[in-house]
Amino acid sequence: MSAELEAIMSQVAIDTLEKLAFMFAFSDEGEEGRPWDSMVAGSVSFTGPFSGTLVMAISIEVLQVLAANMLGLDDGEETTQDHRSDALKETINIICGNLLPAIAGDEVVFDIGVPGILPADQEMKKGAGIPDGLDPSAKVTLDLDEGQCVLFLFLDGEIPKDIVLP
Amino acid sequence: MAINILIVDDSGVMRSMIIRTLRMTEVPLGEIHQAGNGREGLDILDEQWIDLAIVDINMPVMNGEEMIDRMHEDPEMNGIPVIVVSTEGSKARIERLEHKGAVFIHKPFTAEIVCDTINSILGLGENDER
Repeated sequence: MSAELEAIMSQVAIDTLEKLAFMFAFSDEGEEGRPWDSMVAGSVSFTGPFSGTLVMAISIEVLQVLAANMLGLDDGEETTQDHRSDALKETINIICGNLLPAIAGDEVVFDIGVPGILPADQEMKKGAGIPDGLDPSAKVTLDLDEGQCVLFLFLDGEIPKDIVLP
Repeated sequence: MAINILIVDDSGVMRSMIIRTLRMTEVPLGEIHQAGNGREGLDILDEQWIDLAIVDINMPVMNGEEMIDRMHEDPEMNGIPVIVVSTEGSKARIERLEHKGAVFIHKPFTAEIVCDTINSILGLGENDER
């Protein structure tokens, strides 16, 4: 189940980054990630046939390019902190909105919450309100020219058996 | 004829993306107004002449579907074409919005889809010489 979820999550994230910001990402099978303190993270929770939280951590360098490309800025033009936070939240929202029907099909209905930025001075799970003992059901690391993007899907329980992954 | 457009989305970056996309199309743009939620969107519709509303669904204060419902209740706003730009993936919800007269564009979108949808909904370009 985890490998299938990760394949779906990887493809949705790669497609979203390309269409949204013309950024080309590749799935990284290695376990070595970037130091957490060089990344910015955001999360969004959802409820429906299954519920959970999607967390996205992204290198600061990737986030700067993501925000600049979404805004269509020219080389050398600076993004603001608000732009970067907004770009990360919107990207998480779009990935989550595309991920859930990719997992469960378009016949079911999910309610997606308001995305937020996780506090930099807190451990990721605590910041996202995820129980300490809960491990991610899927984790994907993507490599981009500017750095990395890591996605974690935390589910509250199992995916119902009547949902068959594509 | 220049088209006055209202963009309603709680993400300022997404509103900027939509405006940039609109400027890449051949749609004759007039004034572009922005709102961060459905309530603000209705306030602008009350005060400004708007030819087309581009509306997100998942927003705080008032979501896009409620805004569309309120527009239908107001004879002054009832005929304004609405394009919903959203990540919504549920077929039932998309069909419900379409039954309310909205045209749906899925995020992330391309400039071509936005252009084609606006041309179609406003009947632009049908008599253009090519």
